[in-house]
Amino acid sequence: MSNIGLIFNGVWSHYALATAPKYRDSYRLLYVHDLNAAAVQDLAALVIPFQSNQAVLTEKKEIIYDFLRAGKKVFVEGDSRTSWLPAQWEDRPVNNYWWVTDPNNPPVADTDFSHPVYQGLTPRQACWHTHGVYTSVPAAAAIIQTNAAGDVITWQTHEFGGTLLATTLDPIVEHGVQQITHLDNYVDRLTEWLGGVRPAPGRMTIDAAAYGAGAQV
Amino acid sequence: MTFWFYLFFTLMLQALLISNGLVGLDNYYVSNELVHYTTCLITKDFNPDLMPYDLLVVPNGSDHVAMLKIKDKVRAFLGAGRALVCCDGWFTAWVPGNQWVMDNAHRTQAVRYFPGPDRHGLLQGFDLEDLIFSHGMSGWWACGYIRAAPGAEVLLADTWQRPIVVLDETTTAGRVLLTASGPLADVTYAGQSDSALVTLYRNFIRVLSTSKIPAHV
Repeated sequence: MSNIGLIFNGVWSHYALATAPKYRDSYRLLYVHDLNAAAVQDLAALVIPFQSNQAVLTEKKEIIYDFLRAGKKVFVEGDSRTSWLPAQWEDRPVNNYWWVTDPNNPPVADTDFSHPVYQGLTPRQACWHTHGVYTSVPAAAAIIQTNAAGDVITWQTHEFGGTLLATTLDPIVEHGVQQITHLDNYVDRLTEWLGGVRPAPGRMTIDAAAYGAGAQV
Repeated sequence: MTFWFYLFFTLMLQALLISNGLVGLDNYYVSNELVHYTTCLITKDFNPDLMPYDLLVVPNGSDHVAMLKIKDKVRAFLGAGRALVCCDGWFTAWVPGNQWVMDNAHRTQAVRYFPGPDRHGLLQGFDLEDLIFSHGMSGWWACGYIRAAPGAEVLLADTWQRPIVVLDETTTAGRVLLTASGPLADVTYAGQSDSALVTLYRNFIRVLSTSKIPAHV
């Protein structure tokens, strides 16, 4: 039974991951315009992916903070430009090709590999590209990843009751896109940390029946 | 004076740009001498009037749950001879006659694109290699493939002969340019030449702008 809500902006990469046979028992798509308290009541965790509708999330931010106050987990990835998050995000150029052009200078310089999502990952599996940085985060937040300039890439706080983990990496969207082949490692650990169940090992596959007239919306 | 007045009002396309609130989307579609863009922000009650426009633009990262809600309007819009660009993974069945399907069965290293018939010259003015390779790596651009409508022109097919760029002038009375995801754009950055994706998009715009547009004749 899926117990991770994926707040869904109608974007295909969100859909591809949540309907993939490997992940569809873990993730439940929650269309952002239909998001309400009842929709998240029985869930253990929420995922707010890159390419979300930040304006609507801001309007509905109390649903997210009530969820945290209930002691649950929220994972936020990619850009977070608006005010609903208690941190300052700033844009930076996305570098998809550092591993070809400058392999000794990855977008993430330091990672706390003791965090459950990062335990067992190689540095390469813990960093592909970033969508901006956090230039300020809550004072009590734990810093999980930083870049070479010391800007925050990934952080976590318990300030709101549950656990809020935020990163400018974009594992959900990129795994849905399926152009980076090592992301099963990150997403499987993330999924287990969020929902308590580790997906079956192996590569993510696509169910073609979920596309077109059979779309699950 | 009369000639230029006539020329202006017959060539300037009115385009409706669908937005699901992605950060920076408006920066990719900048009004110019051929197109004026009006942004339509998706809300819970999304139900835009399409008929004042010549062109509907559904960009990369769009909300295909919302688009499914207005599929009958899209068909009527195209039935009136208007035009649609969709350069995103439409996992729902809202594009008349054509369906995008996600697929990750093939390695991106093996991705190549091959041109088909191109009656309107939409592939002119850029190097096809730029869509195949980026920093020496292939498979960076398109995701999945298109189940093209019978009679539609397959402008580009991939290594496995699957449609990647399709021009459909047969399913409806309108014109439809579809790509298997991957961002097109209508913007020129200072000091830079246009990318292949911009050139492909603008080639389609030029075809439209030199045709009779039902909204303005």
